[in-house]
Amino acid sequence: MPEYLETTVDKFTFRVATDRLYTPQGAWVFWMKPEAPNRVRIGLADYLQQRSGDVAFATVKPVGTKLAAGEMLAEIETIKAMVELPSPVSGTVAEINPALDTTPEVVNQDPYEKGWLAVIETTAWEADRAKLLEPDAYFEAMKVEALEELKKL
Amino acid sequence: MNTDKTRVVVVPCSGIGEPFGTVSREAAYELCEELRPGSTRLLALAKLVLGEPEARELIARHPAVTIDGCKQMCAAKMVKQSGGTVAREVAVLDVFRRHKDLKPEGIAELNEAGQKLARVLAEEVAESLDTSEQPVKGASHV
Repeated sequence: MPEYLETTVDKFTFRVATDRLYTPQGAWVFWMKPEAPNRVRIGLADYLQQRSGDVAFATVKPVGTKLAAGEMLAEIETIKAMVELPSPVSGTVAEINPALDTTPEVVNQDPYEKGWLAVIETTAWEADRAKLLEPDAYFEAMKVEALEELKKL
Repeated sequence: MNTDKTRVVVVPCSGIGEPFGTVSREAAYELCEELRPGSTRLLALAKLVLGEPEARELIARHPAVTIDGCKQMCAAKMVKQSGGTVAREVAVLDVFRRHKDLKPEGIAELNEAGQKLARVLAEEVAESLDTSEQPVKGASHV
């Protein structure tokens, strides 16, 4: 079980798992070292899944798809919006969470564990990794964004 | 003589600003006014929130069908908190997942797909009411 940084904004509590890296948009990247040092698992951070709303469908590019960092990895349709998630890393889609077919709500219920989206076999991990945010940096950016969103209400 | 033929009370979501909430209310109207007007009765969630005695009495006498627009399930929770029994607990999102082509859009006025989704939902609930001779006690999903 990961440890979390946690903040409450208005009535919403957001958690950031500390054992992984993040994109500024709110995707997390978990390095599967040591068992699979070339692979990363990817999912939505708690803030992004809460802001996006209940997930109706999550469609990930098929296993075997080769992607450059920034190319679309997944489309997540929620009751509020269609979230297009770019791949945070370059590589090949190696696994897709089978739970997304039958119980896509797992993305909302357990975003950091059972609600993962895909595993990517990376091809440029060191370069991609350098562009990702450490948990505390993402946490601070997320808090600012959450407060900005609150002002819009 | 008791002439009340109501079998279930229908309580839709009262959320604003999301098409799924609008679908829940459209489906409730469809169910209560078009499909099963004799055996269903529409109840505004706000009346339960206010603790209005007539509303509480109604759900004390009849099981409820709740139709919620999001996973907070406010209608179902409110019926239970008010002492009522939820016979059918419907989430619009679950119905949408079975009808991916019917994506609701629009809030004040639903698009055609949203209207169809509301109709489908209402028909599913109506059919489930027909198959249960007696009002079902306890929650189940349509």
